[in-house]
Order: sequence, then structure tokens, then C-alpha cells
Amino acid sequence: MIRSTLIKELRELLRDGRVRISFFIVLLLIAVATWISKTQYTITNQQYQQADNEERAVWENQGEKNPHSAAHYGTYAFKPKYPLSLVDQGVDKFTGTSIFLEAHKRNEAQFSQAADQTGLARFGDLTPDFVLLFIIPLLIVFLGYNAFTKEREMGTLVLLKSQGTPIWKLILGKWLALFLPVFTIVFLLFIVAGIVLSNLENFGVFNWQSLGMLFLIYMGYYFIFINLVLFISLKMKKSGIALVVALATWILACLAVPKAASNIAESKHPYPTRQEFASNILQDQKEGLDGHDPWNKQAKLLEQKVLKEYKVDSLEQLPFNFDAYRMQKGEEHTAEIYLKHYKHLKTQFEEQSKLYRGLAVLSPFLPARFMSMAIANTDYATHWHFADAAENYRVELQASLNGNFAENSAYGEWSYRANADTWKNMPQFGYDPPELGETLTTNTSNLVILSVWVLGTFLLLFFTTKKL
Amino acid sequence: MYQFNSKYELKSLLRNGWIQLMTLLLLGLFLFAFYNGNEKVDKRKNDIQAAFNEVKESDQNMLILLDSVQRGMEVSASRWTIPTKPMAVGNYHPRVAAMNPGPLAFVATGQSDLFSHYIKPKASGDDMALNFTEISNPVQQLFGSFDLAFVIIYLLPLIIIAFTYNVLSSEKESGTLRLLASQPISMRSWVFQKMGIRLFWVVLMIGVVLILVSVIIPSGVNIVELLPVFGVTLGYIFFWFALAFAVNLWVGSSSKNAIALIGLWLVFVLLIPSVLNQMGNALYPMPSRTLMINEMRSAKAEATKKQDQILDNFLRDHPEYAINDPNQNRSFYHRYMASQQLVREELQPVVGRFEQQLQNQQQWISQLKWISPAIIVQQELNALAGSSTKDYENYRKQVTAFAESWRQHLLPFLYSNEPFSTDDYENLPEFQYQRLTSDTTLISIIALVFIALIGVILGFLKGVGSQSTEKFITQ
Repeated sequence: MIRSTLIKELRELLRDGRVRISFFIVLLLIAVATWISKTQYTITNQQYQQADNEERAVWENQGEKNPHSAAHYGTYAFKPKYPLSLVDQGVDKFTGTSIFLEAHKRNEAQFSQAADQTGLARFGDLTPDFVLLFIIPLLIVFLGYNAFTKEREMGTLVLLKSQGTPIWKLILGKWLALFLPVFTIVFLLFIVAGIVLSNLENFGVFNWQSLGMLFLIYMGYYFIFINLVLFISLKMKKSGIALVVALATWILACLAVPKAASNIAESKHPYPTRQEFASNILQDQKEGLDGHDPWNKQAKLLEQKVLKEYKVDSLEQLPFNFDAYRMQKGEEHTAEIYLKHYKHLKTQFEEQSKLYRGLAVLSPFLPARFMSMAIANTDYATHWHFADAAENYRVELQASLNGNFAENSAYGEWSYRANADTWKNMPQFGYDPPELGETLTTNTSNLVILSVWVLGTFLLLFFTTKKL
Repeated sequence: MYQFNSKYELKSLLRNGWIQLMTLLLLGLFLFAFYNGNEKVDKRKNDIQAAFNEVKESDQNMLILLDSVQRGMEVSASRWTIPTKPMAVGNYHPRVAAMNPGPLAFVATGQSDLFSHYIKPKASGDDMALNFTEISNPVQQLFGSFDLAFVIIYLLPLIIIAFTYNVLSSEKESGTLRLLASQPISMRSWVFQKMGIRLFWVVLMIGVVLILVSVIIPSGVNIVELLPVFGVTLGYIFFWFALAFAVNLWVGSSSKNAIALIGLWLVFVLLIPSVLNQMGNALYPMPSRTLMINEMRSAKAEATKKQDQILDNFLRDHPEYAINDPNQNRSFYHRYMASQQLVREELQPVVGRFEQQLQNQQQWISQLKWISPAIIVQQELNALAGSSTKDYENYRKQVTAFAESWRQHLLPFLYSNEPFSTDDYENLPEFQYQRLTSDTTLISIIALVFIALIGVILGFLKGVGSQSTEKFITQ
């Protein structure tokens, strides 16, 4: 019975002109979206490679220079694009792509793509994740809204009842008939994406496991929608009403709840403004050690402490350049202040994430969205990971520059110049995004919420209906 | 007949609870959207006020310091921060250049979640270092805001669709159409009347809800100022009703109508905007920001080389030593400001390219926005709220100009080696944001009504000729 229901339903779908058209449109959308994303991906990565190489060249060819001048001159950390951003662009558009690494200061990532776009871009981009997250659930609604209501309307329900088949077999047949077309489209997309990605040369690390996991997440997301749509079709008397209810569910889950969640998250756990953030840091710095200011109170204290430690009575007698030493201490102090303030930001971010997870009760879109971005390494957490890696590199670079200055010059010798080779010997910034396993561990809660949704809707569909 | 029709419609709409449900739904959505918009505007106002207060406080300190120095007293501040030095005023006491929200700012978030609303440009900072973007959780930007614009552009059409998709088909499906066909009225004018009654109710309810909500949530905006928003919304409502009218006559069963209307919603609200955006990007591609950094770096490196001496290099990073060194007292900032000027001039075309491309894209949208009423409404509401791309571009330009006048105001002190004094404090330039006004509102409303008329005409074209009523019944 499951098989014959499946075959009958599929045949009906195939014969329906509307279904053929919408199927075709979705395939076309996916093809266009993938092509656009692929082109963008290749261009962005070429630019990244070029910028990264040129910046390194600029850094290495500074010539003879005081190490601290080099520190102020600084360098850039560029964020690469990851292979799976082909499938899900996530928040990439809204985060900056380059961080300026200089002395005394932790900078935010600069130049987000969205800031360079017009207001039209806020309607959304034609990307695979748009089709996967919004359009395919809508397709499910269109294909399945009348799965049971049509039997009722055409009077075939009576015939079905007379067969004496258990309801779950009937439901399962219809379920499979809805699932197969969706599976085919998405499977095709992922296979094409996988082939495209594994044929691109030397761009990041692509592995099939991540792609497979991403596929599973989307399948789970579609399970939920198929279950809900069929459930609605079971409970409603008329096709028209079933359609309206199913659409309302889609609007609520995909549009309304995420937007409302964003407003609530923003107002409950707000970030400081950029200027506020900067002036808070400045305030903390004023009270601490200023590496540049020998007359600063903290600097005086440090001076006495070091003199005592080395048992000498003037800074000239120290075995290293005290100016550079003080600067390094100041650097460490500022790094701590930055750490404290960024920690505050991070707490706000985590609170907001918690709120999103809480509101996921109302919308399966939220956990699916977050999981998808996380696996594609295009989520906000990955951005933090990158920014933290850049900050660690900056702190190390400052330490080795100040170290060079302290060891190779005497107190007050500001005219010291490190030789031209120094810069080549400094390590280069490299960044690896979190691995799949790590991502899954940090996102367990979203995974759990998604699974609960899948299970819950399956139970709802198969166990709440005793008779048609 | 018209009277009967409207009386019957009203009764049936009230009896099956449609009107009640819709009023509640609209009231709830508008309330939530108003609340969210207001909250954002309040935060923005408070942030700006806090910034002004902070400057006021630091100005008080500055004046006290100035006074002490002028009276020849010893002061405890670091020497290079003492405000008799004009550059200390320029760098440590910058003014707030704020973009105050307009009266309708709560209507549309637009681009306002991307950018800062106040900036403090310093005298020695270069314009490239002015970061106009705001720090925020990008997830919020990705999801967008639940504001009035969202309710109007996305949800209102869906509510209208739910309200109208089966005006004709439900009569057919319940068999009452045959009875109606016996009445002396053409099918088209009958559907038109039914639609007209529903349109009247939706418009009335939105009017009432708008007034009610602005009373419940006091946003300091008066009803008259809301009129343009109401006008644009009305035009948009007309459009969707006209579309529903045409679909009701041209398509068939209730579900087919609903699918056709949702399909159109998808096309107008989601697909056309993103395709146009994509095409705009392809036609006027933004140059790469990462590559721009390379250019900026080499321009700066060049400028640095021109400042020959290593001491200069060093002193540029360490203004405090420049002051300690009596020989360098004048030449450090002299050279530095000069080289900054050079870098700015050299980078102007690089930075200009971005603004130019953005303008080109904006131009492209203004030409093609007529394809989708959703875009017309979005652009118009953003413009009314003062949160459109153009508004932020305008703000950026004004701030850059202000940064220049701030520098130019202080440079004479620097070059003539004149100390900054308490008397000069009064003359410091202040930033005043000049808001753009939207002059396209009327055109937009007319365009929307015009597009709606096309829909109505399309509907009336169906079944022109003999036996039209019969076609509807047997279809």
C-alpha cells in the first residue's frame, strides 16, 4: 500500500502542470544561484591571495627601520573565503574581511560587503542558501498542501477507507511522494557543489564530510516542513484553508520569527556603539600603564620595580633597552584591556545566541540556519575565531618586535634600526577555521533543538491521527 | 444592487470573523513594529546624547586646564595633551558629528543597522580611518528588523491575499455562483464591487490602526507627518488588490488562485529585488576593498619615504617626543599634516571609485524599481525614514567635509605657532547634519496607483464579449 500510494502520488505530481513549472523554476533558481556564488567565490579568493601576498611583500620590504616604527606601520590579516560558502554565505556579507594589526591597538575587521551595497541588497541575495532555506520549504507547501484534502474534496476518501489500510501506511506513502522530489533537487545541488568545489584549485580545505553533514541538516529541516504540511493537510477540511494555514506557518517560521528574534536579541542584550566601545577602552587605558609615556605614574612604578629586580641604580645599566621593555609591558597591559572589553562583547553575543536558541521553539528555521552557517564556516562564531587568531598573532608580533628592540639597543637609543632582513624572519599570519568535529561540539544545542523538531513533528504526524 | 452587495459582504465578513481577525492581526503587527522601531530610535537618540554629554564634560576639563595654563600654573596632564597646543585640541577633544534621527526614522530600519550615527573626526586622522560602520552582531543584520517597512512590504500583501484569493472561487465552489448569475449585474463589476468593499475595510482599518498605535506608543510623531507613509502604503494596497482582482477573474479554483498570488508575491517581493541587485552588482561591480588596502598602503609608504629622515618617521608615531625636542617643535606636525594632505589627495580617486559605483548602482535601481512595487515602497519608506543608501552617503560626505573644516580651523594656530586659548573655544566649528528630504513620494504613489490600474484593466479584459458570465460558471 505504501508503494502504490507513492507511485500514484508521484504520477499525479508529474502530470500536474503547476508542479512541473514550480519544479523547473526551483531548479533554474538553484542553477543560477550556484553559478553566481561560484563566480563570486573564485574572484574573492583570487583577490584574497593577491592582497595577502602583496601585503606580505610590503611588510618584508620595509628596509632598515626601528622595530617600533614597523609596529606602527603594521600589517593586515585578511579573511579567506571557505569552500562551503558556496552553499551558505551566512553572515559573511556583514562581517569585515580585513583586520589592521598595529601597535597598541586592537582593530575591528573592516569593510563589510553590505556597507558597499545599496538598500536593495537587504531584500536578500540570490544564493543557494536562499533557495535552500526559503524556496524549498515553500515548494514543499505547494506540493503537499492538498495531499489529504484533495481526497476529501474528490470523494476518494471513502474509497481509501474501504481498503482497510492502516493510516500510517497511507501517510508514509504520501510522505515519501513529497520527500522524493525534494531529495532529488537538493541531492543534485549538493553533488554539483561537491564536484565544483573539489575541482577548484588550491582554495581552502574542502571535505566531503562537511558537505554531507550540511546535506543532513537540510534534510532534517525539510523533514520538519513535510511533516507539518502533511499534518495541516490531514487536519483541514478544504484545500484552500490548508494552503493558507501552511503558508502562514512558512511565513512565521522563515520570516516573522527570525526578524522578531533579531529585534528582541538586540534590545535585550545590546552591543555598545563603536564610539562608546572605543571610549570605554580609552578610559581604562588612561588609568593604566602607557608604554609611550615615561612620566606616567604606572611607568614610574615599573621603573623602580625593574631597577630593584636587576639591582642597578640607573636605567642605562640595564642589560636591555628599558624604553622597549616598558613599551612591551604597556602592550601587554593594553592587550589585557582589549581582552576584557572584547570579552564583554562576546558575552553579549553569547546571550543573544542563547535567546535565538530559546526562540527556536517557534521556528525550525533558526536552528537550521545556525547549523548551516556553522558548518559552512560562515557564521559569527567563526568570525570571532578569526578575529581572536588575528589578535593573538598581533600580540606575538608586538612581543617579538619589542624584544628585538630591547635586546639590540641601549636605553634611549631611539635611533636604532633593525636590518632589512628582520621582517622576513617574522612569522606570517595563517588561519585555519574550526574543523567539522569542533563545530559540531560547539553547536550541539542547535543540533539537539533541530532533532527535537524532527522527532516531534514525526510523532505529531504519525500518532495523533487515528482515523481520516 | 450595489447596496445589497455591500451590506451582504459586510455581514458575512463580520459573521465569519474575518474583520475581527484582521483588525487584531493588523493591530498586533503594527504595534510590535512600532515598538521595535521606536526602541531603535530611542537608543540612537540616547547614544548621541551620551556622546554629547561626554564631550561637554571633557570640554569642561579642557577649559579648566586652559585657564590654569594661561594663569601660568603647573598642570598634571601629559604635556602633549595640554590644550594650548592646537593639535591636542584637534585630536583629544574632537566634536561629535551626529546624524540625528528624523521624525519618521522608526518607520524603516533600512541601512541604519549597518552604520554609526555619530563620529568624532580627529584633526590628524586620515579620512580613510573614519570607520562609518557600526559594531553589531551580524546575525541581526542577516535576519533584518521587524519594522513597519517589513510589515507593509512583506506581510500586508500576504494578508490581502488571504483576504481576497477566493472572492469568486468560493462562490463557485459552494454553488452560489449560479444564483448570482441570475442577477442583473455583470460578473466583473460584481467581483469589482466585492473587492472594493474589502479594499475599503483594509484601508479603513489601517488608518484606524495607525492612529491607534501612534496614540498607544508615543513616538513624538504627529499624524500629519505620517501621511506620506500612509499614502505609499495605500498605493501598495491598491496594487495588491488589483492583482488579486485580476487573478480572481483569470485563474480558477481557490487553491489555484492562492498559488498564483503567492507566486506573484514571491516574484515581486523576493525574486525581482534580488535579481536586480545581482544585475546591478554585475553591471557596476564594486572594486575590491582588500586590493584597495594594498593601494592605500603603497600610497602611504610613498608619502613616508618622502619624509626622508628616520627621526621624522619616528616622531610621527610619537608626538610626545616631538614636543620634547625643541628643534622639532614646529616641523613635526607641519610635515605630518602636509604628508597627510598628500596621502588624502592621492587616495581620493581610489576612495571615489567606491562612492561612484555605489551611485551607479543606486541610479540603476531608481531606473528599474518600477518593475516591482515592493522596491518602490522599500526605497520610498527608507527615504522617508532617512535610512536609505543615499542618506548615509550624504552623512559620510558631510562628516568628511566637517573633518576638513575641523583641521582647517586648527591649522592656522599650528602654523603661526599660536597657543589655543579659552577665547578660541567659542569659535570651534560645530557639526550640523543636513537631512535629505524625499521628493519622490508623490511620484511613487502615482506610479503605484498606475500599476494597480493596469491590474484592474487586465481583470476587466477577462470575458469581454458575449456570454461572459457563463464562462465563469462553467470554467
